[in-house]
Amino acid sequence: MANISCNDIVKSYGAHPVIEGLDLDIPDHEFVVFLGPSGCGKSTMLRMIAGLEEVTGGRIAIGGTDVTDLPPGERGVAMVFQSYALYPHMSVADNITFGLRRQGASRSEIAPRLKQVAELLGLEKFLDRKPKNLSGGQQQRVAMARAMIKTPQVFLFDEPLSNLDAKLREKLRTEIRKIHMQLKTTTIFVTHDQLEAMTIADRIVLMRDGRIEQMGTPDEIYERPATRFVADFIGTPAMNFVSADIAAGDRLIAHGEGMTLELSRSAFPDLAPGQRVELGLRPARMELCTPDTSNAITGRVVLVENMGAEGQVITEVAGREVSFVTQSFRDLSPGDPVSFTISPDHIHVFDSSTGHSLRRN
Amino acid sequence: MTRKRFVTLTLVPAIGLLATLALVSIAGAVWFAVMNRTLRSPDYDFVGAYNFLRLLRDRRFFNALEISAIWEAVTVAGTLALAVFLAVLIFETVKKPLYRNLICFAFLVPVLLPRVAAAFIWRFLYSPSLGVLNYLCGLVGIGPVEFLADPSLALISVAAVDIWQWGLFFSVILLKLLETLPRDPIEAAMLDNARTWEIHAFVTLPMLRGPLISLALVKAVESLRSFDLIFVMTGGGPGTATETLDLYAYQMGINMGGRISYASAMSLLLLVVTTVAFTIIWKAGKKWAS
Repeated sequence: MANISCNDIVKSYGAHPVIEGLDLDIPDHEFVVFLGPSGCGKSTMLRMIAGLEEVTGGRIAIGGTDVTDLPPGERGVAMVFQSYALYPHMSVADNITFGLRRQGASRSEIAPRLKQVAELLGLEKFLDRKPKNLSGGQQQRVAMARAMIKTPQVFLFDEPLSNLDAKLREKLRTEIRKIHMQLKTTTIFVTHDQLEAMTIADRIVLMRDGRIEQMGTPDEIYERPATRFVADFIGTPAMNFVSADIAAGDRLIAHGEGMTLELSRSAFPDLAPGQRVELGLRPARMELCTPDTSNAITGRVVLVENMGAEGQVITEVAGREVSFVTQSFRDLSPGDPVSFTISPDHIHVFDSSTGHSLRRN
Repeated sequence: MTRKRFVTLTLVPAIGLLATLALVSIAGAVWFAVMNRTLRSPDYDFVGAYNFLRLLRDRRFFNALEISAIWEAVTVAGTLALAVFLAVLIFETVKKPLYRNLICFAFLVPVLLPRVAAAFIWRFLYSPSLGVLNYLCGLVGIGPVEFLADPSLALISVAAVDIWQWGLFFSVILLKLLETLPRDPIEAAMLDNARTWEIHAFVTLPMLRGPLISLALVKAVESLRSFDLIFVMTGGGPGTATETLDLYAYQMGINMGGRISYASAMSLLLLVVTTVAFTIIWKAGKKWAS
């Protein structure tokens, strides 16, 4: 087991840079998720750590050893691919043990380890089958067993669940998390699914255009997004953004787009009257209220989306759509006037030009 | 018009033509084989199975059968071995598409040559007095080597030309097949500590098992028809060292003996042997590929 450190990583294809000067340290035992929209460089980063892609510049170290110039097999990493990448002509058992056999492990050494991982992943019944006779979820388990049997220093997962249906995805996600709690192997998991990232990660590395936009625990990323991009990317339903101006006065008030909202003075001590900002309002942090409540936003219901336990209500406020989530959505129907509120502590404020969060504590 | 009728109507003329051509010549061969016709005289009698029984006592026939079998084995195995070796070598070392395409183009040239032309070119290359190969041998102090006149070398030397023509062509096909394979299992094997040759031996080539078997069968059928190459290069000699069945049949039936009935019997036997052999190989290959 080992920590991973990436130092000033540069990757370009020809003259086209994909990653420019990325620094990243992942401590031992941690489960890190690379999250970001497609094309942000998260898979490229993972493949460079695996050694499948050459770095254009910078150094990568695993467990204190510089592995930048080592071939993939000698880095002590194991990878699970999105396509599973099983060897189609080999049985499940041969697939799983291929790596050990290449290392020259003896038959007596391989057999108990095969038994162990097959048990752990529930594959005992399938060992003699060919991959094509397995379901997607079973194939994914074989791919995981193949990675685990090598007892690597680092596990790399490249969007391993995106080819599975929603239910199975959730199940395997939990399994991966449990296995990590058991083995405690340093893990990097790439995904574009923010919910998957939030549920599985110790830490999320949110990437955008080859740079790290924010790095932090799921709570930090959700509660204290560093930029408007992060705030927008994380959370379903997506955050509402409202342009507003800071008003003069004792209390910290922002006016904009038919709303007057009080902000937290302690979280945003630097805001000055007249400053133009962008407010971020999480639908899940808002709740129905009477029109005279403080921070009430009043509008008209456009659409109610039933999500089971709660519902997303899309409203029209001063000509634009604002959505919020409530459990008492069943009383609302399109056309109704509605008021909802958000506590000052839950309002995010971003610089309207740079998109950076203006939160100070 | 129904689909079935359309299929029947379009297929019948072509199949009919092919069947006529095949059946007429086979019927003709059977007719000749049970007679004692020669080119020297117009008289002939019905002799029944005499020609076939004589074949079983003909040592030169069994020699030709053996040479044919060796020829098949050497050319098929050699072609595939060369093709696999070159395809993997190019796949691993030449990464630029332009260079790859240039090499592929160059590799296609030999198979485009008419066999007779290739045979003449190599007769000159092999020549003990004028040939480039013997010049090179001379530089390292061997030779002159009688490539085509030495009974122990002649068959291999002719086979080398066949392998040169087809092995290079097949390596282009194989290279293109390697390029179509998904990248992921190869990368998984890299992470699984496999060396380059192990990746190909254990992952890519087994994944191409089906196409490889097809290529082997195509080459096996093609190797049966190497009459022109052997005829131009050695004419079956020295002695009977390169005399395959079709060459022997030609020598018997047309060239020296003119014993057309005997040659026909030989051809029929060859037809039966190859049909049976290929059916078995085809079945085995299909079973193995699945």
